Amino acid sequence: MQTDARTLLAAAIERTAAGERNGLQTAYRLTSAKLFGVCLRILHERAEAEDVLQEVYLTVWQKAADFDPARASPMTWLITIARNKAIDRLRSRGHASRMEPIDSAVEIADTAPLAEDSLAAGETSVRLRDCLGGLAAREQNALRGAFFDGNTYEELAARMNVPLGTMKSWIRRALQKLKLCLGQ
Amino acid sequence: MSDDRNHIEPPDDDTLAAEYVLGVLSAVERAEAARRIARELGFAALVEAWQARLVPWMDEIVSVQPPLDLWNRISAALPAERVRSQGLWNSLMLWRWLTAGAGALALASLVALFVAINAPAAPLLVASIEGGGNRQFVATINPGRNTVSVVPAGYANDPARVPELWLIAPGDKPRSLGLPNAERPVALAIPADLRRFATGESALAISLEPPGGSPTGAPTGPVIGQGKLTAL
Repeated sequence: MQTDARTLLAAAIERTAAGERNGLQTAYRLTSAKLFGVCLRILHERAEAEDVLQEVYLTVWQKAADFDPARASPMTWLITIARNKAIDRLRSRGHASRMEPIDSAVEIADTAPLAEDSLAAGETSVRLRDCLGGLAAREQNALRGAFFDGNTYEELAARMNVPLGTMKSWIRRALQKLKLCLGQ
Repeated sequence: MSDDRNHIEPPDDDTLAAEYVLGVLSAVERAEAARRIARELGFAALVEAWQARLVPWMDEIVSVQPPLDLWNRISAALPAERVRSQGLWNSLMLWRWLTAGAGALALASLVALFVAINAPAAPLLVASIEGGGNRQFVATINPGRNTVSVVPAGYANDPARVPELWLIAPGDKPRSLGLPNAERPVALAIPADLRRFATGESALAISLEPPGGSPTGAPTGPVIGQGKLTAL
């Protein structure tokens, strides 16, 4: 996301916090396509994703005053709300999320984002990508299943056909490696 | 490290925060983590740090346009007490509802409402400004008052540019009527020297311009919609 768009979005959230519908509407116009993409990716069902997206913006309306631009980018804040709502919905519907087997031997495809779709500080994204690239393929696949498909440890263990304990140590080790690599 | 197949240690707080952000916890574990975020500043800070680390990965997700009426559903669900009273004319919801339908019925209702509210003496001129498969704005010229009321319909706000309204008489160059609001209806005064062009022969168009409007007096950005004026 461009710096002006980020400033505009932060200002829109600030106006939302003051109770201005126009603020929320501007935030919606700037971010709804991205957040809908996030909800759809996790939920896979359009009607459900629409429901959740609606919940997301109602939450933004209620919680806009909690947003602190000094602590998080506005897009990170919004995506986090959308992810949390989508994952909560996934868990509450009882049946499993995406469950096709993941072949841990297969290298994941390079899925660099489209330039115009790039939302965060691009630099952060590039560094994260480098660090993810440094992980073993199976670790990357496991993280990806959790992050993009909303899988639990149990589901990931089933998808990758490994014991639960093994899956937990893969993911925890991968997270530690990421943290170290990102140096934050 | 041995391949700890079934030996699972409880995670430390930083790991738990990472697992929460990654989205790998069960419903019960998630709910417990969410309770701790609300109560414990230290744990909340760990979660925030992991959000900053991992959320940029969402760059990979391709944007998908939600259905056009979803904003209306959200807007309708907002609590009423926080809405400032803007009067009927400025009620965005009402206008969105009236202009959302692509059919003539919506336009007719809109005009009927306008007539009811403003009871003009001279016949009104209406243009549905359309482009890119959408009705972008609906504009109504009131020759009695020398105003043009411009109502956003399917117009998608552009963060970097503003819409500018143009009056185009047959064989003439576009002449600016000013900058309509991207989000709510406004009435713009028609400059005295342009009033003679405000007839059923002319058309209206919207172009995208830098903030403040076209620096040259002629459209400089893309024309996103146009529509002929029709006398009622």
